[in-house]
Order: sequence, then C-alpha cells, then structure tokens
Amino acid sequence: MPHALRIRGLTKRYDDGFLAVQDFDLDIEAGRFFGLLGPNGAGKTTMISAVCNLIRVTAGEIDIFGEPHDSLTARRMVGLSEQDVNLDRFLDVEETLLYHGGYFGMRRPEAKRRAAEMMDVFDLRAKAGVRAPKLSGGMRRRLLLARALMHEPRLVILDEPTAGVDFELRLELWRYIRRLHDEGTTILLTTHYLEEADELCEEIALIRDGHLIARDSADGLRETYGADSLADAYVRAMGAVG
Amino acid sequence: MTALVQRHRGLIALCSREAERVLKLWSQTIVAPVLASFLFILVFGLSLGDRIREIDGVPYEVFIVPGLIAMAMAQAAYSNNSSSVFQGRADRYLNDVLSAPMRSWEMNLGLSFGGIVRALAIGVSLLVLAVAVTDVPVREPLVLVAAVTILLVLFASLGVVVGVYAETWDQAGFVNNIVILPLSFLGGVFYSVELLPSPWQEISHVNPIFFLINAIRYGFLGTSDVPIGIALGVTAALALACAAWSAAMFSNGRKLKA
Repeated sequence: MPHALRIRGLTKRYDDGFLAVQDFDLDIEAGRFFGLLGPNGAGKTTMISAVCNLIRVTAGEIDIFGEPHDSLTARRMVGLSEQDVNLDRFLDVEETLLYHGGYFGMRRPEAKRRAAEMMDVFDLRAKAGVRAPKLSGGMRRRLLLARALMHEPRLVILDEPTAGVDFELRLELWRYIRRLHDEGTTILLTTHYLEEADELCEEIALIRDGHLIARDSADGLRETYGADSLADAYVRAMGAVG
Repeated sequence: MTALVQRHRGLIALCSREAERVLKLWSQTIVAPVLASFLFILVFGLSLGDRIREIDGVPYEVFIVPGLIAMAMAQAAYSNNSSSVFQGRADRYLNDVLSAPMRSWEMNLGLSFGGIVRALAIGVSLLVLAVAVTDVPVREPLVLVAAVTILLVLFASLGVVVGVYAETWDQAGFVNNIVILPLSFLGGVFYSVELLPSPWQEISHVNPIFFLINAIRYGFLGTSDVPIGIALGVTAALALACAAWSAAMFSNGRKLKA
C-alpha cells in the first residue's frame, strides 16, 4: 500500500529569496496519526501549503497515496484545515459546506446529506443560515474543521486546529479527531500545544529551519533526549541544533 | 451530458458561487449601476436631446444608449471580478478553490463567471429600459452578440488579472477609476469622434474602448465611426491577450501562489 504522504527533496524558495524548506523528505504511512512540531517559521505551513497546491514548489516531488500531489485524484484525497480562519464571508454555514463539496466534485444530494451530518457532528445546525463573519471564534474553528472533512478525505491535514479555542472545545475537537483516526483516516497535525501532540499523535517529527531534526513516538523522543516530558525533549532537540 | 456534469462539478459549483455573490448583493451589483446609466439616458438623452442635432442620422437620446450600455457592462465585468478575486485572496478563502480538484482553466473560468453574469444582468436591464423610453433598435444582432461576447471576455479577464495582482483595494479600483471610466467617456459614449477636430479625432483611435463602443453601437444602430471589421478585430485581439494572461496565471500559478 502506498504511503499516505511521500515527500522527496522538497525545496521552497519564496520570490523574496527566503529559503523556507530545503531538500525535505518525509513519509507518512496510511492510517497514521502524525504530528509535525517546530517553532514559528520552521517550515511547517510551507510544507503543508506545498502538499495542498497553495504555493509553487521550487524543487522536489510530493505523492499522496501514490498520486502526484497536483493531480485531480490526489487533490480529492486531501482535506485541509488551515491555521488562519479563511472562510468565505459571503456564504453561511450550510453554503460553505455545500460549495466546498461542489468544488471537490460531490453531487448535490450527497453534499446535502454530508453537510447535515457535519453540522450535527460539530454542533453547527443552529447556525446553518449564519454567515461566517457573524460566527463566534469557536464556531468558525468548528466550521473550518467541518469543511476540511466535508468531502471525506483520506488524508486530513490540520494546521494548528485548536489555536485560540477554549479548553472545552479543544477536548471536543480532540475527541472528534481521534474518532476520525479510528475510522482509518490518516491525520497530519501541526500544533504548538505539545500536550496535544503527546495526547493524540502516534508519531512526531520535529522540524526546524526547514529541516527534519528528529522523528519518533512521543516516548521515543523523550528517551532519545533523556527528557521527562515531550516539552523537555522538544526544547533539547531545538537547542541541540540551535 | 451527465458525464460532462460529473467531470466539471467543481466548475459548476464555482460558477454558482460567483453568480450567487452577485445576486445576494443585487442592490449594489445590479440595481445601482442600472440606475446610474438610466439616469444618463434620461438626463443627457431626453432632456438635452431636443437641443442637440442628430448624430449619424440618429436622434441623440438613441445615439448614446449603446455606449452607455457598453460602459456599464465593461465596468461591471471588471469591477466584479477584480473585487471578488482580490477579496478571496485577502481573506484567503480562495485557498479552498486552489486546493480543490479543478483544472486551472476551470478555476479561471469559474472566477470570471460572476462578472459575466453581472454585466449581462445590467446590459439586459438597461436594454429593456432604453427600449421603453428611446425605442433604440437592434439592427445588427449578430454583430451585437459578437461585440458583447468580446466585451465580456476582455473585461472579465482583466478583472481577474487585476484581482490577482492587486495588493490593496485602491489598486483593485485604480484601473476602473483611472483607466476604464475616462477612456469610456473619451471613447465616444456621448459623441461621434468625427465631430472632434484634429488631432483629437486621431488620438481617439488609440483608445481601445473607442473601438469597443463603436462595435456595440454598430450592433444597435448599424453605424460606426470605424469599419466594423476593424472595431471587432482590435477589441478581439485585446480580449484574447487578456484571456491568455489570465489563463497563464492560473496555469503556472505565478502571482496567484507564493
């Protein structure tokens, strides 16, 4: 079975000359819950944007379940919840989900059924007719996640999905993400909350200055760096290359 | 047919979204420009028409209708697409489209569609109102269809291009306020350039909107300041250039993606 995500020699140099990621390799097996940790500017969002065709890649290859990442087949298999809230201000909650389903090739009845399901799961039903700018921060975060999952992707990429949400909602989102993973979905999670990665991820990669510096389970990283907590292991790993 | 729909479901959804944006904001996107242009017809045409002699054998209130319709449609197609694409980039919800399983030409066409819908809604509304008050004829319907198609391609594509390049709202509005609007007024909306003295008459011939207005006017009235083949040819060449520019941006991702 091909890897859910296979990256070879990914390099991204932005037009202003900034080299965000250089010669980056990464394999994520299908069905894994994979965490990507690193400080701001480490290259996490650049890597995710490259996978999702949101930036032009300078060099390298990216395959999703064996398909080139820019093919229609590969695009259909990826769901992205971005770090920033990027909802269409002209659409209400239900329309946001229905149009997303349409962009990803879903038939209207199928999209309506799935949108209803997503609104129930994320407790958005009462806000179905409310436009995105009028939603609370927590509701927008739920809608972002619902939109990412709308077309039932096999690889879900969550870029800091719980940033700025209260503790109760974070636990609720964890529960849903864990259930999604139990159903066989591959998940790539970036987060600055180390306890979140420790709690959810089977495997964690540490990234800094566009390079992968360590990759293991949370226990493995603690052991490698002789640390009691993942936070200590993270600090030591970053310090070791700094 | 079903297979075709299935194959282009993303395009259909994006076209629907762009059309819905226009229709949700109908008072701003359709009614306001129709009212503004209709007031031009009433004020300049009907109230001043008696004091201005016929132009090219056509009553003045009839003569100005094609140019006003062309100007309103051009501005609508351009400003709709430049603002929609710029807003999508600024708020980053365009990423939902860019990451979707759509071909680059589908994204381009889908994002152009709102301007086409808006321009057609304004053009048809103005035509109905103008026929009611001025009895403007449509003497060359095939030429009119060709000229309107060229107008839509030219300004819808230009709007998408500027929406991708713009970094601020001011930049998105700049082309409309500083280029399209003045060139429309100077392109013979309210007069025949044959009435102008030299060198203004010759200078008018470097204004691309002059050719567009004349092509539309020929479709309505059967008269034009330049041969209709040249009017259609010049505007078609510009439309193709803008469409190619827009298509290239979606194909290679330059400016659209970092």
